[in-house]
Amino acid sequence: MTPMVDVAFLLLTFFMLTTQFRPPEEVEIVLPSSHSPIKIPESDVSVITVSKTGALFMSVDQQNLRVRLFGEEARLKESVPVELSQLEKLLITARISNPKLRFVIKGDKDADYGPVMDVMDIFDKTKISRFNLVTDLQRD
Amino acid sequence: MAAVDTAAPRERGKHKKKHKKKRRIGIRIDMTPMVDVAFLLLTFFMLTTTFSKPQSMEINLPPSETKVEVAESNLLTLRVMEDGTIYWNMGIEAPQKVAFNDLRNFLSSKNQENPKLITLVKVDRKSKYHMMVDVLDEINLADVKRFSLAPMLDQDKKEVSKAAG
Repeated sequence: MTPMVDVAFLLLTFFMLTTQFRPPEEVEIVLPSSHSPIKIPESDVSVITVSKTGALFMSVDQQNLRVRLFGEEARLKESVPVELSQLEKLLITARISNPKLRFVIKGDKDADYGPVMDVMDIFDKTKISRFNLVTDLQRD
Repeated sequence: MAAVDTAAPRERGKHKKKHKKKRRIGIRIDMTPMVDVAFLLLTFFMLTTTFSKPQSMEINLPPSETKVEVAESNLLTLRVMEDGTIYWNMGIEAPQKVAFNDLRNFLSSKNQENPKLITLVKVDRKSKYHMMVDVLDEINLADVKRFSLAPMLDQDKKEVSKAAG
C-alpha cells in the first residue's frame, strides 16, 4: 500500500500547489461566446470589467501596482469600481508602472455596447492599441 | 490493510530486543485514517482545480491619428442597429439587411470577390455587447483580416432608417 499512498500524496501536493482559488467577483459576469481560441495571458493582466448595468471595475493582478493605483486599502481587493472619467489617468499610471501590462475587457453579454465603446475609446486615447476581449469558447 | 505496513517495524523490534532487551513490543500504526484524509483532500483539489484560462479575442486598434484613404468600392460597412439587425452597404450605396446566420458566408464571398475589401463595423451604442462580439467573431471566422471599428453616427442611423423605409 505504501507506494500507492506515496503517489496519492504526490498528487495531493501537486494539486495543492497548483490550485489557485477563483477570487470572489464584485459582479457576476456572463461572458459572450466566440470561436476564438486565444487564451488570456497568465500574468501582467489588467481586467476592465463592464457589468450588465454598465458599471466599470478595474483589476490588476499585481499587488504593488494595485496599491499605487487605488491606495493602500485596495491591496487585497480583487477589483475596484472606477468611473469612466478616472479610467484614462489610471490606465496611463498603470502602463508607466508596468509597460508589459496587457489590458483585457470583460464585458457582460447583455451589457450595452456604449460603455464598452467608451472604454475602447479611452484605450485608443491612451495608445493601447492591442487588447483582448474575454469570451467563452463556443462549441458547435 | 495496516497489517502489510507493520511487518517491517515488528522485525526491527525483534532485532532491537536481542540487543537491548527492550520492553516495547512492535508498534502498529494504523495509517488508514490518514490515507483516507489524504485521498479526500486529493479528490477535493482535483475537482476544484480549473486548468483552463478563459478564452479571449484579440483586437488591434489602429492609431486614431492615422487616416487611411480607402476607395469607395473597397469599403464594406456593416451597421449593427439597436435591435440587433445588421445592415450592409458598399461605399455610399443604400444599406441592405442581412441575417446574422448568413453573415459568415456573405463576408467570405464578398472578400473573395474583392480581396482588397476593408470592412468597417459600426455598432449602435444601445445595442448589446454580445452582438459586437458575435459580429467580430463572424468576421474572424470568415477570415477577414482587414476590418475596423467605428462609432455609429446619427447620419448612419438616418441612412438605415431611410433604407428600411
